[in-house]
Amino acid sequence: MDFTFPKEYELFRRMVREFAENEVRPLAKKIDAEHRVPFETIKKAAKLGLMGVPFPRKYGGSGAGETGYCILMEELGKVCTSTATVIGAHTGIGAMAIYLDGTEEQKEKYLKPLASGEKIAAFALTEAQAGSDAAAIKTRAVRDGDYYVLNGSKCFITNGDIADIITVMAVTDPSLGARGGVTAFIVEKEFPGFSIGTLENKMGIRGSSTAELIFEDCPVPKENVLGQFGAGFITFMKTLDIGRASLGAACLGGAQAAMEAAMKWAKARTQFGVPLAQKQSVHFAIADMATEIEALRSLVYRTAWLIDTGQPHIKEAAMCKLYGSEVASRCINRALQIFGGMGYSREFWMERAFRDARIAEIFEGTNEIQRIVIASNLFRELGLRIAP
Amino acid sequence: MRIIVPIRQILDPRGFTVSRRHERIFVNREEYIINPNDKNALEVALRIKDTGGAEVIAVAVGKPRVDDALREAMALGADAAYLLTDEALAQTDAAGAAKALAKAIEKIGDFDLIITGQETLDTGDAQLGPWLAEYFGIAQVTNVREATVSDGALRAKRDWGTGYAEVEAAPPVLLTVAPGANKPRYPHGGRIMAAYREWEVTTWGAEALGLDAADLEPLTEGRGRTFPPERTLGERLTGSPQDVAADLVQQLRLQHVIK
Repeated sequence: MDFTFPKEYELFRRMVREFAENEVRPLAKKIDAEHRVPFETIKKAAKLGLMGVPFPRKYGGSGAGETGYCILMEELGKVCTSTATVIGAHTGIGAMAIYLDGTEEQKEKYLKPLASGEKIAAFALTEAQAGSDAAAIKTRAVRDGDYYVLNGSKCFITNGDIADIITVMAVTDPSLGARGGVTAFIVEKEFPGFSIGTLENKMGIRGSSTAELIFEDCPVPKENVLGQFGAGFITFMKTLDIGRASLGAACLGGAQAAMEAAMKWAKARTQFGVPLAQKQSVHFAIADMATEIEALRSLVYRTAWLIDTGQPHIKEAAMCKLYGSEVASRCINRALQIFGGMGYSREFWMERAFRDARIAEIFEGTNEIQRIVIASNLFRELGLRIAP
Repeated sequence: MRIIVPIRQILDPRGFTVSRRHERIFVNREEYIINPNDKNALEVALRIKDTGGAEVIAVAVGKPRVDDALREAMALGADAAYLLTDEALAQTDAAGAAKALAKAIEKIGDFDLIITGQETLDTGDAQLGPWLAEYFGIAQVTNVREATVSDGALRAKRDWGTGYAEVEAAPPVLLTVAPGANKPRYPHGGRIMAAYREWEVTTWGAEALGLDAADLEPLTEGRGRTFPPERTLGERLTGSPQDVAADLVQQLRLQHVIK
């Protein structure tokens, strides 16, 4: 058993950290305030292979696997959750679905420009009446010659309005339900009948966009069926499983940054004649944060290792997302308390981190859903199947 | 066009603190980086490669860990890398290292340019460039900020007191690049992976370079170290921002910092 990172990952982390500090951090406050996507950062990230970190080099990616991708998310999570969200929705779920289940032709045509960052991806599953209950989606795809015609709408789609390529789940046979009746499709934004609906005005991650997508008689060529016909649910679940590990990594970065900032503040801020860092209440808060962060780090990188070595990882990935989002929220909350009034001020980033952290408990499967995934996997090991 | 870039690995200054009071250096994090000025030199070489095409070769002397600096150079864009290491090479001084580099460059073959950083951040040495130019009997341009190659001619912009001087030279030429001459690029993620998983660093010992222990005998000898005196606390100015600013200007005038 060896817990050290191979040297390529050490250098990769150093590069990503410098990129995050020099290119991402200076914009973090601005994009939140202006409620806009940092396209300039995406362009720079693309040049460094950071829009396709987990994908093999032959598809234009960095070939750094899930481990490398988690390192990227952790370092971005330290400085700007919005930027992590834009790159995460693009890489970790949008493009990932094509990488996992696409044909060679689809990877050539779609994954390559996505991995190189020339184009942006989104992942469209959620609908007004189908979020946690993903099997309840209503968007229909009906065969018409060489095309499938899509009708319906998706909501809360990260990158929805900026994406060039969207992986969409639609019902192809309502009588079969989730298993067999749902298919994944690759949709280009130029396809007729595709349009953007309303944009969300969110509490946090305001430097990322969240859109409604509308499909009105949108013809999708039959060669754009992603994965097996009727097995869209499996494609999407597999994709989400992997996305959850890296989301945990972004949370790890957020928690770590909050703790480090709180420690620096506690060292500098004097009350009752001594620095806050001399106060036991601060020691206890820091010790608890550090312990949870260390546990999360082990969980995240072990899960990344499971994914990179092709081992079962569904339960662990759900744990990364569940535990990661809660640790981030808890640590940021406690760090903010140590900062006192300064933490509540918009002058400092802790208030933004507090707003940003909350989404991680909700998106990519709510934490309640993660608990169901974890428990059902545990009971399955005992031979008991749990109905969702 | 072949460009040789000698690089040096140094202890990351962000990882240690110098205590003047205790006359000690506290290493909190032992991490090594490419000497920042050598990164500037590599950047000059890579920009020439980007515009007109060139083969960029990184060479370094030192302990086996210097391998990491060379892999980073390859991740940044170098096409090949040579590490000169063995027990004698790991312990030699600046003059010995220059000898080893000269022999290695000879062994690599013909070259058009040697581009290196002007100085090292750790020991403050600035002898490698002139040493190599002397060894090969070629022209050298120091204090370079930018360099381009067109129609076989090298054009370099160098710091010239309050302005710049533009010089032209016919290769082979040696350039030493001024510290902070440019903003070095970040390595590409895919190249980082390939630098460790696919590409090789060629390793040569002293014998392969035709050097013996006497050649590498350090010319310098360390006899101890001293620390600059502890800094005294400055004077604290208090009052309204206007008063403090006025006070500050007056103090600076009195001490002849400004006129």
